[in-house]
Amino acid sequence: MIINNYIFIGLLLLAAIAFALAPILVARLIAPRKRSRTKSEPYECGVLTLGETWVRFRIQYYIFALMFVVFDVETLFLFPWAAGYASLGLFALVEMVVFLGFLLLGLVYAWAKGVLRWV
Amino acid sequence: MARILFLVIAGVGLTSALSTVLSRNLVRAAVSLAGFFFTVACLFILLEAEFLAALQVLIYVGAVSILLMFGIMLTRGVQGTDLVSGPSAARLPGIVVGLVVFAVLGYAIFEEKGLRTQYSWGALDERTAIARGSKEPGSPLRSAVNNMGKVVGVELMTRYVIAFELAGLLLTAALVGAVAVAHREEDETRSTGSGVPPEKPEPTADKPNP
Amino acid sequence: MTAFAVPTSWIFWAQEQAVELDRGLAVRWGLWLVVGFLAVFPGIVAYMVLLERKAAARFQDRIGPNRVGPLGLLQPIADALKLLTKEDLVPRGADALVHLAAPVLVIVSAFLMLAVIPFAVGMAPVDLPSGVLYLIAASSLSPLGVFLAGWSSRNKYSLLGAMRAVAQLVSYEIPQVLSVIPIVLWGGGLSLVAIFDKQADYGWFIASPPGLLAFLILLVASIAELNRAPFDIPEAESEIVAGFHTEYSGMRFSLFFLAEYLSVFAVGCLATALFLGGGMPIPFARFPLNLLDGSLARLVVVDLILLAVFAAKVFSFVLLMIWIRATLLRLRVDRLMNFAWKYLTPLAIVNILVAGIWYECVIRPGALTLGRWLGGTLVTGPMVAGLVWLAFWVNRREWAGEAAGPGRPSLEGARPDWETPGQTGASPQRAH
Repeated sequence: MIINNYIFIGLLLLAAIAFALAPILVARLIAPRKRSRTKSEPYECGVLTLGETWVRFRIQYYIFALMFVVFDVETLFLFPWAAGYASLGLFALVEMVVFLGFLLLGLVYAWAKGVLRWV
Repeated sequence: MARILFLVIAGVGLTSALSTVLSRNLVRAAVSLAGFFFTVACLFILLEAEFLAALQVLIYVGAVSILLMFGIMLTRGVQGTDLVSGPSAARLPGIVVGLVVFAVLGYAIFEEKGLRTQYSWGALDERTAIARGSKEPGSPLRSAVNNMGKVVGVELMTRYVIAFELAGLLLTAALVGAVAVAHREEDETRSTGSGVPPEKPEPTADKPNP
Repeated sequence: MTAFAVPTSWIFWAQEQAVELDRGLAVRWGLWLVVGFLAVFPGIVAYMVLLERKAAARFQDRIGPNRVGPLGLLQPIADALKLLTKEDLVPRGADALVHLAAPVLVIVSAFLMLAVIPFAVGMAPVDLPSGVLYLIAASSLSPLGVFLAGWSSRNKYSLLGAMRAVAQLVSYEIPQVLSVIPIVLWGGGLSLVAIFDKQADYGWFIASPPGLLAFLILLVASIAELNRAPFDIPEAESEIVAGFHTEYSGMRFSLFFLAEYLSVFAVGCLATALFLGGGMPIPFARFPLNLLDGSLARLVVVDLILLAVFAAKVFSFVLLMIWIRATLLRLRVDRLMNFAWKYLTPLAIVNILVAGIWYECVIRPGALTLGRWLGGTLVTGPMVAGLVWLAFWVNRREWAGEAAGPGRPSLEGARPDWETPGQTGASPQRAH
């Protein structure tokens, strides 16, 4: 049954977290600890940090994230289509051609507008 | 066992939802929101909708939270200084309104009469299964629940074709809209960015530097 | 309390028919968890690191680690001990909780990916009906961890590295996911076990033109997803120190390191299970599977063959990745993003449709025959070749159009990654 499988996944999740945290705890116990001001400075190749670190980033990053979400949602439709294709005919393929045609159109539009250029 | 699981998941979900709202730091709030999305996926699994659960993790935890993070990085004041909270005089009415909305929703849900039963939701002890007959091991509905991906695909391609194609169109519209908006902003920053500094540097330094 | 009794009895109608957790299942799960996930997989990964160091050394005409133990075979243990005794540092001003949670998230993502891989007959940890989707969902958790690592460190290099890394990860996740869809299409479902069975009947999925293209897209996108050279801009040590894990040291750093190699291993398993026929040694034969007759002894023999072949395939995949890393140079950031969005994504999208045609030609008519396979190859082969040519042609033209010289996009208008309030001036608000 499905839920039983997910109990294993849940146990694996807990095991993975424990696997990650255990060595950190061990290191806490056996590793040396000597705090000093200089040591806990942010590492910037020996130069003291200037200004604020958490600054504004360009909008370019946001656009790529937005396109990522759009295409991710697209795959949400593609997976059930692909899984169910065996019991469907050529008609489903044609439908998918139309659907993907729309999306390619959007991609081409973004391309033509120059949004895909990173610089 | 199942009840304990539900209580644990619901507890974690509530905690992360609360910390989303209460957190002073935007990124931390977004992380809590991602955690909340994850508990929703866990609830889907308890409802035997593992396909939905996987989609929930893929779309919300994997994609939307990244979008949120990038959106936050686009703004100023990430370090969560007290920019968001309003005057404390508005707090009490806010709490009252929230409680009233909660009460209305709770009432509506508990008094709702389903299509199949004559009794309200709150008056029932035993719920009917979401799909009738899905409890028997060999029934078609049972196998539909176990192969939800396949069934959703077939339904999308036959009964809900129009909706499917419209969804494609909607996605394209979203993409085009995003590109159009972004393009305009790009032009603005490009025209102002090259040349003399357009704006005075804002005093973003809220934290005193030791 | 009836308030709880009501909704839970509704939610858990499903539980009534769940199989009781019998002892056999519990033992199997315990073995998988303790032996597989906590011992064997980390062990494999530790020796993969040694393999990479040895192989990279050979590529550079060096010997590589050979001091600890015979042939340097105890090196991973020495490394682990060294990392354990390093000081656990959290930089001042960092968000300590998130700083701790980020590597855990990345490790969890890598571990969860391995849970559905069918290593041999009856040797998948679990067989989920939505296995492929689960795999992708699990792997999509790691960009979040990377971002949180960079953000919580409160270091400029970390943040810049994290932003670049996440931009790259999300861009290459699209072609990676899209390249898996042909496999789902041919496998007729999302379960990895079903996909394995289908490959026993219809040959390895890589042995078809659209399958080959999908595999190549998956390979390139996976290398980018793993931040390995030539896609290691997020960790470009000559520009931004170590990228998102600049502020991680000791055990925390080694968690990222471990997660990276665990992901390499997981992606190798994924590619093997989806494209290379799992543990099948011969592309178009059911060879070890036809020995099965229900007896336990036969099953053990078959599983041993399958496991050995599976391991060999994963090993070759990992070696290929090491070879690529030792050979190729780092890409420039704009070309990197270009490659994801202008080559791989359109190719992967159209390839899905070609995969549909392959399905109609070869898989739907019935059992695999040489004639059908040749027919399908003749129909889809030119399509795939034409697509690849078209993608490169269009991009060439664009390069030639916009650049001063052919093949060189201009860098005019290039700006830094973040908005600086006041571009000239160069007057930081407070100098130390």
